[in-house]
This record gives sequence, C-alpha cells and structure tokens, in this order.
Amino acid sequence: MSASNSCKQLNIPLNRVEGDLEIKVNIEEGLISRAWSSGTMYRGFENMMSGRGVLDGLVLTPRICGICSLSHLTAAVEALEDISGTKPPDNARRLRNLALMVEMLQSDIRQSILMFMVDFADQKAYASHPLISQAHARYAPLAGSSAVEAIKETRRILEVVAIIGGQWPHTSFMVPGGVTSSLGTSDLLRCRLILEHFHDWYEKKILGCSIHRWDQVNSRESLFEWLEEKKEHQESELGFFLRFALEAGLDKFGQGPDNFLSFGGFSLPAKTKVHGTHGQLLPAGFARPGRVDIFDPENIAEDVSHARYSQKHISAHPEHGQTNPDPYTALENNYSWVKAPRYNGHAVETGPLAERIVSRDPLFHDLINIHGSSVLSRQLARLTRPARLLPHMHTWIRELSDNLGGKFYHRVKYIPDGAGAGLIQAVRGGLGHWVRIVDEKIEHYQVITPTTWNGSPRDENQEPGAWEKALQGTPIRNLEHPVEAGHVVRSFDPCLVCAVHSIEKQQKKGGLILRGGF
Amino acid sequence: MKKIIVCVGSVWTEEDLAGQRVFELLQHVRHPGGIQVYQGGLAGLNLLPFLEQGGRVVFVDSVTGHASSSKVIVLNQQQIVQSQCRKHYGHGAGLPYLLAVLPRVCTGIMPREIYLVGIEGQCTPESVQEAARTSLDIAANGTCGHGKEL
Repeated sequence: MSASNSCKQLNIPLNRVEGDLEIKVNIEEGLISRAWSSGTMYRGFENMMSGRGVLDGLVLTPRICGICSLSHLTAAVEALEDISGTKPPDNARRLRNLALMVEMLQSDIRQSILMFMVDFADQKAYASHPLISQAHARYAPLAGSSAVEAIKETRRILEVVAIIGGQWPHTSFMVPGGVTSSLGTSDLLRCRLILEHFHDWYEKKILGCSIHRWDQVNSRESLFEWLEEKKEHQESELGFFLRFALEAGLDKFGQGPDNFLSFGGFSLPAKTKVHGTHGQLLPAGFARPGRVDIFDPENIAEDVSHARYSQKHISAHPEHGQTNPDPYTALENNYSWVKAPRYNGHAVETGPLAERIVSRDPLFHDLINIHGSSVLSRQLARLTRPARLLPHMHTWIRELSDNLGGKFYHRVKYIPDGAGAGLIQAVRGGLGHWVRIVDEKIEHYQVITPTTWNGSPRDENQEPGAWEKALQGTPIRNLEHPVEAGHVVRSFDPCLVCAVHSIEKQQKKGGLILRGGF
Repeated sequence: MKKIIVCVGSVWTEEDLAGQRVFELLQHVRHPGGIQVYQGGLAGLNLLPFLEQGGRVVFVDSVTGHASSSKVIVLNQQQIVQSQCRKHYGHGAGLPYLLAVLPRVCTGIMPREIYLVGIEGQCTPESVQEAARTSLDIAANGTCGHGKEL
C-alpha cells in the first residue's frame, strides 16, 4: 500500500459512516488511481452467538444494526426455517414482507436525501454549480425543506412496523413457522391509510409523477424525455437529483466491478396476485455484462488474505469459515476488519442497482450498457426502489383483509440439529446468516452483510472490493475537499457502524488528512 | 405529566452497554408516579415517537469524554445537542442529532424537559445502580443538569 513519488496519497476518514470506515487513495493527475478501504473496528458478532440457545439469534441479531434490524431478523428466522424445513403460512409471508419493505422505504428515502443529496448543499464543493442555492434550500443539514420533510414522512411510515410487530423498537415478531401477531380489520385499516399517505407523498414529492408513469421510463432516452416533460418532474426530488448529478458529472465516474449479485427477496405467498420469479418478488441472480446467471449459494466464499483474521484456508464458504481476529497481522497487507466475500471468485456489487440489473430492468441495463455503472445509476436505483415496492404492499394489505381467518403461524415443535442459511435481499443488498445447530445449541454462526460485499478489501488475487474498484478513475478537483470520493462510497450506502453510539464530547469528524511527505 | 426513561445503546458492545444494563435493572419493577421504562437500542432517529408526547424524557446511555471512568453524569437538552458539532445525519446518528432536529420535525407535543443520564466509559455494577437511581429520581422530580460528576 505504498505511494510512488509521482502521486499523492490521501487518507479519507468518511464522516456519516461514523468513523468506522477509512479510505486511502492514490491520486495521479487528478484521478484516483488506486484505493484501499479499511473497516477499522472489529465486531465479531458471530463468536458471541456460539454456544447460545437455538432461538437466541432472533433476539440478538436484529440488534446488530440500528436501521436494518428487520433485515437481520428475517435472515435469522429463515435460517432456522431452512434447518427445520418449515414454511410459514401465506399471511405470515405477507406481514413479514410488508415490514421489511417499510424498512426499505424508510432507508431509501433517508439515505438519498439526508446522507447522499446533503452533499449537493456543500457550498465549498459546489460553489459554482448553477443549482447550489436550490440544493442548499432543500438539503442543508437540520434545516433544508426536503430534509425536514423526509424525516417527518419516514417517521410516520414506521408505524406500520409497530402495528405489525406489536412493538417498536426491537420487535421479534418473526418466529420459525410464521409471525406472533395476527392483525384485525382496524389494524389493517391503519396500515392501509399510513401506506396510502406515504404513497401519495412519494409520488408527489419524490417522483413528481405517478408510479405508473415512472414505470414507462425504460431507457436512457426515455429518462431524459421524462425529465423534460413537466415542471413537476424537474422539481421533484428525483428530477432535481438528475439535474444536479448530470451537471456535476456523477454519471461519469463510480464504475464498480459490474458483477452484480442479488440473493433474491420477498418470498411470495402460495396464493397471491403479486407476480415474481421462482417464488420471489426480487429474483436471485448473478449478473455480468450481457448475461444473468442462476444464483448458487455454494459459490460464496470469504477470503481473508487482506483482512485481519486468521483462518485455516485463505478462502472458505461461510458454513465453514471462521472469525478469528488477528490484530497482530501486518497492517500493510491486512488492512481491514472486513472480510472479502467473493462469488465464484469475483468481487461483486450488491444493493438496489444489482436488484435492477438481475431483474433485467431495461432502464438500468441501458444506463450501464454503454459506460458501465456510475454514482448516478446506483443512486437512481435506490431513490426509485420504493416505486417497485409500494404497489405490491397495497396488494398484500388487501389480501390480508380478505383472509383474516387464515393462519399466521404453523406450530414448530423444535428446531433439530443441522445446518441452514437465511439468504435475503436486505436494504443494502444481499444479506446471509449461516447457522449450524449441534446438541440444541448454536455451534456456528456466520453473517455476511451487504457492506461486507461492497466494502471488502482485496482478495488473494489482488482484486479490489466493489467500492475500491469504483473509486478508481474518480476525478478529485480539490485534494483538501474530495467530495467526489464521498459520492462514490456513499452511493453504496455503507453501513459499518451499528455498534458504538456514544455521546462524545466535541469530537470533530470528517476531516481530511494528507499523509506525511506530500 | 408523562414521565419516561429510554435506555439506549448496543447490547453487543462493551463500551455501549450502559443503557442496556440500566434497562435490565428497571424493566421488571413497577415505578411510582407512572414512570415508564423503554429499551431504545440503536433506534436513533426512530426514537422520535418517544419525544412527541410532551412530559419529561430521561435517556440513559454511555458517554465519552465528560468525566472520569465509570462516573455518572447528567446533561440537559442543550448540553446534549452541544456535545457534538456534527449536523449531518448518518447511520450512527444518535441523541445529539435527534434533539437538534426535533423542533423542526415534531408532529406531537414537544417534551417539557429532556435529560441524559450517562455513564462514562465502561460501566460497573455500582455505576449502573447509581445511574438507575438517578434516572428514576430525575424522571420523577426533574433537575437542572450541570454535566458534572455526581
């Protein structure tokens, strides 16, 4: 990880990912030539699970993360159902899917407006951008009109989870065999009204058009036609994002490995009007330029060649992988506490853009076919994902109302010894929990989060992780304020934190350190 | 007047266990004066519903850089907001962000009083006991937080 005399090396502790992520980049002639991503904190949740009771994962793993706890709950319960061979009844599927979708809606809006587009209001970075004053009025921290509205609306939608789960936060309403709640007519009516309110707001303020109209945007050309069509489109958050991002050139950098992975998500009830692929709303698959292959979980392996762990084999399937922290390894080569998961040996990107590519969405295929993926295409996929979810949420609420007498739970007497996995499409991409039960205790637990895929270090073939690759070629206009690098990493919505949330006295974060000698 | 205690932090991290430990002490006890105790976990901005019901809200959490190790401190609303200069939302946005943005996004009744009972660094059985007693006392009677060691 050394820099030659001809290039500058920057150390970028990224704020808004809580300081647990550090990016080092080499810059040559104004472009990032190489990047190294370091997760700077050891967590080791897997080892804490060992020896615990079979059902403990349902209570403990949702607490891994403060903002995607339902994703972890879903993966944990599906792993136990995989072991026990249990399938939940249709109503349970509907409630689980609804809750997880609410988590996605909330996260997509908050990430887009509060964490990504807030950089558009950065007067230092975009002083000469023609839309800077509008961006500041919309996205300024704590005061921007769009920021305040996003907090209010995303707070309200969460009430659906509280109704479904019976409590918030820390609901554990998903259990092997179904859910612990069975909603009545008035509960469903409340969910419906909250959802309809959010739907109206999303169409009016985020899209600037109906979801039906947005569905017709199926190519780069039609995206520009949509943008030019109406003032409402241009003034919506989506329209403003496109106008600002195109002017800032965010469609021209941030190309990842362009290998896309989706575990597939939202298992469909046996009887439903929602259509999917192989029993799932979001299809599973591994996409490379020009093709989408079937996803096979056996092709997953975690490489520790550049991570701070020791393991019998450099690369191992999560069912057999270990989490042995080794803080004494040389930092020069073993530079991250994040392992490097690979699919069939390939570094991959996972998340909303991967979902659209694996789903063969014509708009996103067209966007990346010519110039590859970019900051713009990745963020566009996230901002428009709610449009792919909301119609199905309405359908499932209607189906629940029509089947109130249906079952919400199949009794599961016990979870037998054995091994299983819960692989789902979480907010930030593919999430997997691998569990092995021996003598009615958890013997082995491995978690691979979406950020482990996207923020992985190099592997034994020196192949960089997804955002390490995406940073290559990124232009940096101001070495003292590399906002472009932040755009690239944030477009993946990194989540390395969810651990320590301590009130620290007057700590300044987000600075930029030019390393000695440059 | 509504009186609630919200214990926040991560059950997974030693340095962030204070809120959880206090919650474990208080959760099964019936408290006088209708004081309610909640586990807030890492919910961050999603703790807003606790702050839209008026009354007095006491948070319990780990703190860093305010006092010597294992000491219990009390901060008022202004001191909590001023404890971090960061104005941006992020995955780790905690109480300072929540309270800073609260006046602009509150759709219910703003709390009359907000306090934080903090345990500096790693908690001990004694500091957890003290923080639990202090939380109950402040929830019941209020106080004027000075951010000083008790």
